[in-house]
Amino acid sequence: MEQNQALIDHLDQSLRGEGSAETQEMINNDPELIREWHYLQLAVDAIQDTALYEEVGTVKEQWKIQQTAVVKPSRGIVRSLSSNIAKIAAILVLLAGGAAFYKYATISSGSLYDKYYSSYSLNTSRGAADEDAMDKAYQAKDWHTVITLFSPTKRTNKTDFLTGMADLELKKYDDAIEHFEQIMAANTQAHTDYFQDEAQYYLAISWLAKDKVNEALPILEKIRADKNHLYHDKVEQMSFLDLRLVQYKESK
Amino acid sequence: MKVAGKYTDAELIVAIRDERSLNQAILFIYQQYAASTSSFIIHYGGSEQDADDVFQETVVSFIEVIKKGNFRMEASIKTFLVSVAKNIWFNELKKRERSGHREKIYEHGRDQKEEDISHQIGDLEKKRQLRDLVNNLGEPCKKILMLFYYENLSMKELVEHLPYENEQVVRNKKYKCLQALTGFIKSNPAIAQQISEIVKS
Repeated sequence: MEQNQALIDHLDQSLRGEGSAETQEMINNDPELIREWHYLQLAVDAIQDTALYEEVGTVKEQWKIQQTAVVKPSRGIVRSLSSNIAKIAAILVLLAGGAAFYKYATISSGSLYDKYYSSYSLNTSRGAADEDAMDKAYQAKDWHTVITLFSPTKRTNKTDFLTGMADLELKKYDDAIEHFEQIMAANTQAHTDYFQDEAQYYLAISWLAKDKVNEALPILEKIRADKNHLYHDKVEQMSFLDLRLVQYKESK
Repeated sequence: MKVAGKYTDAELIVAIRDERSLNQAILFIYQQYAASTSSFIIHYGGSEQDADDVFQETVVSFIEVIKKGNFRMEASIKTFLVSVAKNIWFNELKKRERSGHREKIYEHGRDQKEEDISHQIGDLEKKRQLRDLVNNLGEPCKKILMLFYYENLSMKELVEHLPYENEQVVRNKKYKCLQALTGFIKSNPAIAQQISEIVKS
């Protein structure tokens, strides 16, 4: 293990241009170390390639969203600005103004919650008996049973999460928030990240449901800035313009 | 549509090498070259989804070639991208044919230059297998390894980004994750064989 740790340290230092020639010489003279060295390099190549693949994928999705928003200009005959065009332009301005007014009048945290909320699908995995019963109830969408099965003395991040989701389905937003915050607190304390990404995302969604965009926005911005977050792609597709519009409206 | 900064070929290469402008450069590549490359794939029997996948692989390969300093500027970036996409697509068609599909069209349109391209972009199938192994690590390990080896964050910065108490805890976690990944790679017979051959030579 010590030898492997030394190899990894040397690899990390080499990647940052600080590797020692002595260690490299030692590796080069030992076939077993060379083999390990190649595996480590391959592992790092794989990590970098996977990260780049995901980064390109994220930009691709952004490009696709932009593409769908494009209104292709027609290639008609070029004419001087006639009164007809001026009229059309005026109508367009009115329509755009009307649309903006309509959007401003109708948009709210609640409407964004309706737009962005989607149920959480549970992957089946065997756990403790209590968790299995809760899994079954969750999959059957029996939200009341999920909540009943929750026990504060036997809580895990998973039971907190499923109960929070059941609360969300039943529009008990305060209870949902309590469960999601509990997960994040437990993770901080135990240095784990079990259900962390899920809890963060649905915590933001719960705040939207409660018309508290000021609470939701910093969480969503954090997720958007973290390319490795489970919900990064989903949040990337959200309209932050809409969120800020709601923030402006609700601050008035 | 928002247009990513306009780049000449030389400027695009510089932008790709700079982490701060990489995303803008990728967006520019999509805006400028995705349509023409996709129409080529579709012309040679691919679906829109095929074109989408092939272009993503093309962009990844192109960026890797640039970052390794292997792009020789003998052709324009557009020509290079189309050649890479062609290479990837023809290999995909070959693979599909081997697994019982009908395509034969790849025999036409292939040219000598693609052997060079193939050498430059490496073994795509192996890359895909390795990506699967990275994804099999689970999100916490994947995250810590990507932040360290791709985003080049220091141990100190990792402590700020991750729910771990101190640098030593992060170091141990990273060590275990990297060991887990090398373990997965070692258990892949084809890759293990390749490594043995490299070590022997």
